Amino acid sequence: MLDRVKRETGSSTTLGVADEADLIERCRAHERSAQDELYHRFRRQVAANLYRVMGDRGDLDDLVQEVFVIAFRGLEQFRGDARLSTWIYRICVNVALGRIRTRKRRPTAIGVADLDAADADPSLTDRPETPHQSLERRRDQATVYRALELLSPKKRIVLYLHEIEGLDLKEIAYLVDSNPVTVRTRLFYARREFYKILAITPPISTGDADTEDDA
Amino acid sequence: MKHVAPHRWADAEAGRVDAAARAAMDRHADGCSRCARARDRIKQASASFAAIKSHPAPELPWDAVRARIHWSVSTERRERLALEERAPARRWIGTLALATAAAGALVIALVTDGVRPAQLAGAPRTTAPAEQPQTPVMPPAPAEPTALAGLVNRTTGDVMIDGIRPDDLFARRLVAGSVIATGDGRVDIQFADASAFALGPRSMIELRRFDADAIELVVEGTVDIEVAPRAPHQRFLVLAGDRTIEVRGTQFRVRQEAGNTTVACRHGLVAVRDAKGQVDVGAARRVELAAAHTVTIDRVRPLSVDEVNDLAAATPLTLPVFDRMARSQANGWFGALLEGSAPLEIATASRREVRINGVELGSAPMRVRVMPGRHMVEAADAAGRFRRVGWVDVATPRTGSTSQGSRLEIPAEPRPTRGVQERRRQLLTGHDKARVALCMRSIAKSGLTGTYVVVEIAVDGAGAIGFLNVLDTDLPSTTASCVRDVLVDVRFGSGAPASWRERLDL
Repeated sequence: MLDRVKRETGSSTTLGVADEADLIERCRAHERSAQDELYHRFRRQVAANLYRVMGDRGDLDDLVQEVFVIAFRGLEQFRGDARLSTWIYRICVNVALGRIRTRKRRPTAIGVADLDAADADPSLTDRPETPHQSLERRRDQATVYRALELLSPKKRIVLYLHEIEGLDLKEIAYLVDSNPVTVRTRLFYARREFYKILAITPPISTGDADTEDDA
Repeated sequence: MKHVAPHRWADAEAGRVDAAARAAMDRHADGCSRCARARDRIKQASASFAAIKSHPAPELPWDAVRARIHWSVSTERRERLALEERAPARRWIGTLALATAAAGALVIALVTDGVRPAQLAGAPRTTAPAEQPQTPVMPPAPAEPTALAGLVNRTTGDVMIDGIRPDDLFARRLVAGSVIATGDGRVDIQFADASAFALGPRSMIELRRFDADAIELVVEGTVDIEVAPRAPHQRFLVLAGDRTIEVRGTQFRVRQEAGNTTVACRHGLVAVRDAKGQVDVGAARRVELAAAHTVTIDRVRPLSVDEVNDLAAATPLTLPVFDRMARSQANGWFGALLEGSAPLEIATASRREVRINGVELGSAPMRVRVMPGRHMVEAADAAGRFRRVGWVDVATPRTGSTSQGSRLEIPAEPRPTRGVQERRRQLLTGHDKARVALCMRSIAKSGLTGTYVVVEIAVDGAGAIGFLNVLDTDLPSTTASCVRDVLVDVRFGSGAPASWRERLDL
């Protein structure tokens, strides 16, 4: 299930079923080297997933820590009905959902950076991006995340997984621990709301999108 | 045709609309500026989905994150093991109580009916044995209570034990009668799995009694104590002058100076008493008694948030002792900890705050007990930002011996560059103070003072601001954002590039 979910970070997360089972068993036995191995294999995948869902790197290291702590704690209950990468992705989604909820209640003091232009995937374009294109892309992404911010956390997650990650209802239902019918209803309203916001909101000016948080 | 619903444009972009419908939508948009605008915006936003989806992972301080994960997981596991260890005992006590109650009920029922238990069971009658002359039975001699021992976990500055500065401080067994004194630093001593005390600067403590039945500590100066739940019969007393502090299972601080006694309790409960009275000091409360004061309830005050934080920061350092380890050792947890850990010396030229595996341990130079393995050490710079110093490997002690430990020297922090000083000056003199005052107007009107903003800022050689982040503030988000906007408008001239943290008191 959810084969599409385990894209990202190439070969570092690809484990055979037997190797995966062995790694899980060793982690369950609290073997520190196994926990290190799991962390090394999945850390980039986890960070990338969280980064894309959240749209900024404000508390990213805290979120990555939370995901792995939950994973190590929950491995004993992991039944193996999904691949390990999928299960970890599910934790990422739930951790991100929790953080979005918190952030809604307690907005941050300042806006933080949007997806960073310097990290853009060069494979997306044949030719290197011009500064203008880069600016345009950042502006568009900032506009998307601004519209996402205006949705309720549950709608936001569902819409993100469907429209941006391209997952189907069944996959989303597994990730958000819901049923496909509920997800379909939530998605129905989320799409209307999201695209309405995009349609009536002018794009973010370049100055707004130009914040950086990298030291 | 009615206006096109915005999500229909997204469907069209994703190819979920047939050609005829798409053509009709486009025809409508050609004559409707509102729909045309919506179409363009959604098309543009949808095009960025692919870029978002393929965005790679950002770089993070992976090692620091890993250290924090391990710390969190191992702490959780240790607590769970401790709970599991206690649970069977509780179950056993419950079963025993139930069995006793059942037996009692049976006996009462039999006595009430006038039937002897032996008759009921059909047992043969036996004649009572002839009475034997009574011989006096001497009560057994009271057993000596098990002696406790303490082990040094962390030291900073000068520490003396029994009047000398021992070389084997970290391997020394601190038993009843030991006297520990500190100079400018502090020393943390663990005396059970999760119980420890930390002696503050210029303080002295005597372990007057230190066994399984009672612990009596005589203190002069400041001592922070954390006591895990004790055996029901064990008493834990701290004697401060003519006052006695009795512990129930808690974390607290006692300060005894020139006859004045202060007892502050972070959590749990302590009882403070003198010849005339007694008062209980609960969580987040303190009692302050001058030499002439008697102990009365009206001297108990709540702790401020800063005081509670101060107590939290002064929590004595304890290392985990797994029961399995302790059981395998002849002298219990003490041996397990002594042989399963090693001292690590962190040397610095000047006082620096340090962190090991993501846990703040206070000011170095210091010596601290750590578990064997590889540890990441970070030290704070002048701005309070922790930077990684390096890894240090602490060897596993050989069985039956103690480790000599490891040493890490933290290089002196480079002096602030001329660039930073110049840029700081430009920031402090160049920002519009009138605008800052405008931002602060509502705060000032509320009568709030002493507010601050900590920003992190980078300026390049041309004077352009690379980034400007508000790291910490006690202002509302809108006010902090307003102050940040003012700082962003500071014009830096060309000069040396610099990045630094600045605290602005507003």
